Amino acid sequence: MTIPGRWSRLSLSQRLARVAFALGLLAVLARTERGRVVALDLKELATIIDREGDHVGAAEVAGWIVSGRADYRLIDLRSEKEYAAYHIPTAENVTLSALPDAGLLANERMVLYSEGGLHAIQAWMLMRAKGHRNVYTLRGGLDQWRDEVLFPTLAPDATGEERGRFERSVAMARFFGGSPRTGDKESTVARVPEMPKIEVSAGTASAAPKAGRKKKEGC
Amino acid sequence: MEMSAPLFKFGLFGEEASLVVAFAIGIGFGFFLERAGFGSARKLVAQFYLTDLAVFKVMFTAIVTAMLGVTYLAWAGVLDLSLVYLVPTYWGAQVVGGLLLGAGFVIGGYCPGTSLAAVATGRIDGLAYALGIVVGTVTFAGLFPWLGGLYLAGSAGTKTLPEVLNLPYGLVVFGVVLMALGGFKGAEWVEARFGGGGEKERP
Repeated sequence: MTIPGRWSRLSLSQRLARVAFALGLLAVLARTERGRVVALDLKELATIIDREGDHVGAAEVAGWIVSGRADYRLIDLRSEKEYAAYHIPTAENVTLSALPDAGLLANERMVLYSEGGLHAIQAWMLMRAKGHRNVYTLRGGLDQWRDEVLFPTLAPDATGEERGRFERSVAMARFFGGSPRTGDKESTVARVPEMPKIEVSAGTASAAPKAGRKKKEGC
Repeated sequence: MEMSAPLFKFGLFGEEASLVVAFAIGIGFGFFLERAGFGSARKLVAQFYLTDLAVFKVMFTAIVTAMLGVTYLAWAGVLDLSLVYLVPTYWGAQVVGGLLLGAGFVIGGYCPGTSLAAVATGRIDGLAYALGIVVGTVTFAGLFPWLGGLYLAGSAGTKTLPEVLNLPYGLVVFGVVLMALGGFKGAEWVEARFGGGGEKERP
């Protein structure tokens, strides 16, 4: 019997089953990944940066650490010596040069930080080029962490709203071994405070998970 | 061809528009559930009595259709698979939640989506089920401080079969197609053995 003849004798579901089989067989050859040659989507990157989807704030990361979230990796890009002197609790040390071969998975969420933030931004670009999608930088780097989380400052002429924010940051600062400061900005900024000792074990002190996540994707 | 999907991730529409899109997709989903006869608890529960495995067949067909569509779109360079959202694996929550959902499905005769399809066609049992969902959701939210541990237990990140099995993507796709076709064959056999064209579904 001819092939068209046989085909016409099949029921609709039998035909669909054969189509699915053929498409499935052909899919074995499918190349669905972008391959080794990097093709950066400039529009996509620009969109992410424009929407500030490339960084997280120090206070937000502090909240994640307090609530014991484990769905991300915090990566300190500075040298081993600097890392030993102080690092944000739960951070792991991967220097910038070691980053490409650090065995981080493409679907892992990671937050990169450096002293001022510039190295982290460069590392962000490298990781994007490597195909990592879930990469963020800590905005302002360790400097911002120091000013915002460890040693928040209350100016004498602060508004009510600023005072409210300061009150909330006091507990956070103590948790991470820092101390809130009051007084005018010039005098406090002039002397950089000592970084706290790194024996803070933030991971274990977790309370109930907070609703810290801004937006949940999916269902 | 330039990558342009997932549409939302490429900023082709914003947050508000995404809600409209979700609404339209939801209506479409409900429509096809109802058309497949899944607005009736009788039809749904028949699969547990092995008399009618339409639910299994329809759902698996949907999975295979979507999988092939996504594969070919990615192959054509339209869809970036690595941007598609994957639900992270939480062993504790998903095993316990899956068992609870299964038990609820057997007892209530609906799963969440089909219960809403049933409500839309005016079924009282569907309405009772949907109200149960609301009560359950509120109770869960209230008990969250105690259930939070379970909710996050066994976190294993996002996992895909090609990664876990260490097989090429296309081969896994073909494997799933074979599994579906084998499943359909098996389902027909089970229906012939236990169904016997007996109990006809009443509207």
